[in-house]
Amino acid sequence: MNKDKTLVQIALYAALIAALGLLPKFNIPVAGGVPLTAQTLGLMLAGVMLGPVRGFLAVALFILVVALGAPLLAGGRGGLGVFAGPTVGFIIGFPFAALVTGLMMQMLKKTSLFVGVFIASVVGGILVLYAFGIPGMVAMTSLTFAGASKAILVFIPGDLIKALIAALIAQSVARAMPGIIPSR
Amino acid sequence: MAWFARKQKNYIPHEEAPLHPEQSEHICIEQVDLQRAGDPFFQQISLRWNEKRVGLIGNNGSGKSTLVRLLNGLMMPEQGRVSVFGYDTVKQAALMPALVGFIFQNPDHQMIFPTVAEELAFGCEQLGQTTQEARASALALLREQGIESWADRPVTQLSEGQKQRVCILAVLIMKPRLLILDEPFSSLDLPTRRLLLQLIHNSDTHVLLISHDLSVYDEFDRLIWMEKGQIRADGTPDEVISRYIDAVNSSVND
Amino acid sequence: MISLYLSHSSWLHRWPAGIKLGLLAGCSMMILPVVRLDLMIALLLATGLLYTTLGDRGWRHLEMLRPLLPFLAVIMLFHLWAASLYEGSVSVLRLVIMFLLANLITLTTRMSDMMAALQPVFRPFQWLGLSARSLALAVALMVRFAPVLVMVMNNLDEAWRARGGRKHKWRLIVPLIIQAIRLSDHVAEALTARGGSSGITVRPQKNQEITNNEQR
Repeated sequence: MNKDKTLVQIALYAALIAALGLLPKFNIPVAGGVPLTAQTLGLMLAGVMLGPVRGFLAVALFILVVALGAPLLAGGRGGLGVFAGPTVGFIIGFPFAALVTGLMMQMLKKTSLFVGVFIASVVGGILVLYAFGIPGMVAMTSLTFAGASKAILVFIPGDLIKALIAALIAQSVARAMPGIIPSR
Repeated sequence: MAWFARKQKNYIPHEEAPLHPEQSEHICIEQVDLQRAGDPFFQQISLRWNEKRVGLIGNNGSGKSTLVRLLNGLMMPEQGRVSVFGYDTVKQAALMPALVGFIFQNPDHQMIFPTVAEELAFGCEQLGQTTQEARASALALLREQGIESWADRPVTQLSEGQKQRVCILAVLIMKPRLLILDEPFSSLDLPTRRLLLQLIHNSDTHVLLISHDLSVYDEFDRLIWMEKGQIRADGTPDEVISRYIDAVNSSVND
Repeated sequence: MISLYLSHSSWLHRWPAGIKLGLLAGCSMMILPVVRLDLMIALLLATGLLYTTLGDRGWRHLEMLRPLLPFLAVIMLFHLWAASLYEGSVSVLRLVIMFLLANLITLTTRMSDMMAALQPVFRPFQWLGLSARSLALAVALMVRFAPVLVMVMNNLDEAWRARGGRKHKWRLIVPLIIQAIRLSDHVAEALTARGGSSGITVRPQKNQEITNNEQR
């Protein structure tokens, strides 16, 4: 694909993740009222829609612009402060979540799109993300590893629902624009 | 692009001679074939002009947008040759952006920078100016247009007409020798159309304008009417427009 | 625009971004090992004082802490359960101070200056073939199109509600993605028409008209 197109795709997808986070309307009330934003949904879909490399770059670009001072993380957070906060591990893990989601999509070529996206999102968007997020919390808060793990257990049901929604969305987009998902 | 202001090194593009010097005063489309969605669309289409103001009309799907995309290398002919002032759009594709300016229908699709000054400066940087020089050129053009205060305005805060004006300026600042406008006025009100048309007429580049609003062709030298991938008529705006309107009326009455 | 940057000027605005980032890194390193509550409280007061020197609107920006509060509460609870109120307070205060100091830099540094100061961080990417220019272009494109996509989203939401849609708003993400893909095709075409991300390397001869006249 030509270079301009790749560059624009990456930048616009980063903008899409930002747009998803700026919309408080998308909170999905589950897990005892913990509001969940569509932003992590955007990470899962980055790997699915763009593939591992471009997905990684799109999310990394998003994180960079947040670091530069744009309050684009869900809830209007941004700036260098978030890199000194308890969720820094998650933020650094964002691009890797997209990367692994994209890689999983390539490995799951033979499954149906729905199942593939769901599994890839669970592995990339939950397992990998938490593998970065929990050590980050431990480092920043002097919680124990077990304590930090328990503290974020509450987000798991919501994240599973998001993986499901990511699969539904990917399926609808693929129906509307056949051939748009790189691994299929 | 101020982001890397300090260390970015720009290089000056080198000049290249036209590959077809015998056509250096004309825009030529010669016996071009092109497929669309797998079917032959253009078959042996030929056109040649050097008039300053040329219009292109036709119903949707007639091939206008495809034809103009041949002229700046966004699309390549499968057969035949396209040259702009002697420069081959395929073999010299790299210099097309400096030769041919292109305005698209929707300004939101072509403004690539957050602020007006950055948008204008981009073209100058592309042509080898440093970041500071480019910003100075951008500000100078805005001053000349009497809209200096727009410089640091976010482009999202401009009206549709203002956006399209910025797009046209962002292309004119690169001093293209041919300016192509693909339905640039479709979402604009009449006064804004007049203003932008004036802006186009005041520039000394060759212009090729696609529009559904036939009144914009008043001061044009030549008008081309396309239908189903072919040239249906080609002549002065008055005669082509009257034939076009007759054809539309008779097809509606059928 | 979408930035936390304060447009009015303060003494901290005038410091170079690189120095500010270096100082921030140094301060964070020094604060991490501190375990005394009295020291933490003193540091917090000092940080608060720094915010007031930003001018009359300085204090207002402490409210940026609000999204952090649930996290701080959870951290406190876990410390109460596993250790003590003292350790919990130290932990929470340390986070608050580091967060506030970091955001102080963001408030007083232009995005473009920050980008320039962070350039060494991007050098590894340049070895991978991602030029500084492409990166700068990507940042600009993202900042430009985030509000456009928010607008697209709002329009979709309006259309959806006009047709009686209330629930399952996540469905709107589907047309949002489709429109973003279409938009990226158009923008890429426009970028190419203006010379593309790598810039223009060849231009037509300037003196062409003169040559033509000579030929005639």
